[in-house]
Amino acid sequence: MASPRTIIIGAGRLGSTIARSLNKSSNVIVIDCSKEKIDRLGEYSGFVEVGDATDCSLLEKCGIKTADRVIAVTDDDNINVFLADLCTHIYHVPDITIRLKDSRKKVLVDERINCICPFDLSLDYFEKREEEVKE
Amino acid sequence: MKVVIANGFHEADYIISLFNTRHNDLIVLNDDEYVCQYLSLKNDIPVMRGKATRKTDLKEAGAENCDLFIALSEDDYKNYVACKTAKLLMNAKRCIATVINPKNVEIFRELGIDTAVSSAYLLGERIKSLTSVENMVNSLSMENEHIFIDEIRISSDLEVAGKTLAEINISDLGSVASIVRNEKALIPNGQMRIESGDKVLIVTTAENRNKAISIFQRKKK
Repeated sequence: MASPRTIIIGAGRLGSTIARSLNKSSNVIVIDCSKEKIDRLGEYSGFVEVGDATDCSLLEKCGIKTADRVIAVTDDDNINVFLADLCTHIYHVPDITIRLKDSRKKVLVDERINCICPFDLSLDYFEKREEEVKE
Repeated sequence: MKVVIANGFHEADYIISLFNTRHNDLIVLNDDEYVCQYLSLKNDIPVMRGKATRKTDLKEAGAENCDLFIALSEDDYKNYVACKTAKLLMNAKRCIATVINPKNVEIFRELGIDTAVSSAYLLGERIKSLTSVENMVNSLSMENEHIFIDEIRISSDLEVAGKTLAEINISDLGSVASIVRNEKALIPNGQMRIESGDKVLIVTTAENRNKAISIFQRKKK
């Protein structure tokens, strides 16, 4: 089976780590407006693009119309929310994941969007730990 | 009317001056401390420092149930999220976002923002409308671009030169308001004949404008 076409937006620590882990199994392109971050992708050997991912021309150049999956993990929640709506309603990408530092912004995006919220994950962890301690 | 103005500098200052009357409840929010002070001193109004993309800040500013929310940041995506937050979580009745990237005008509309405004987009539309009508020397739009008055210069190679207004008959599309001949404005009637060198002023609605102009611009075969 052909590997899913994946677009990763944001080449910070999370984006670059995801890119490296998908490197061998997927058809991946990483977009970031910082050339320095793109240059620091290390072992990742897939496609890269330096530019503003909120510009639909750039997304189309990177194959958004045929993408199976978009992972938006820039440092800015507002960019990730905008990208989620753009990819859902304009380009109809079937699988979208975004990172939200402020988990309260989850209410702004469609239920189909997978949201990674570090705050919620940490809270879940401590709640589970608390239950384990009680037992 | 309750109006919220989020971010922006000179644009915000201008919009404040339009809405700063006793009839309006004006709420101004900006994420830059210097801009807050400037706008507050210049317009003698309170300006809250805060993020328009954050529900808590909008709530603290009193933006709930506003009639109009205007987002003026230089970042298109911030204006989008601010408008979406205002619409979904603050129950804003109408949202307007400025956009730098003209391609975002259509995209914002498709994504549910009531109005997206781009100076580059408006300029492009204006240039397109001007270049699409050769010989047109002047135009004026009224009533929020629903009504147009266009001045068309008539040359001898045009079909309409030598014809009467009754023969041309644009009554379904608009009307001829005046014919300027030798610097004199003539009141038109059906028997009046259009001559080379005339300037014809036509009044049309936006949807009929191009059709009416094209009738006056058709070249002789």
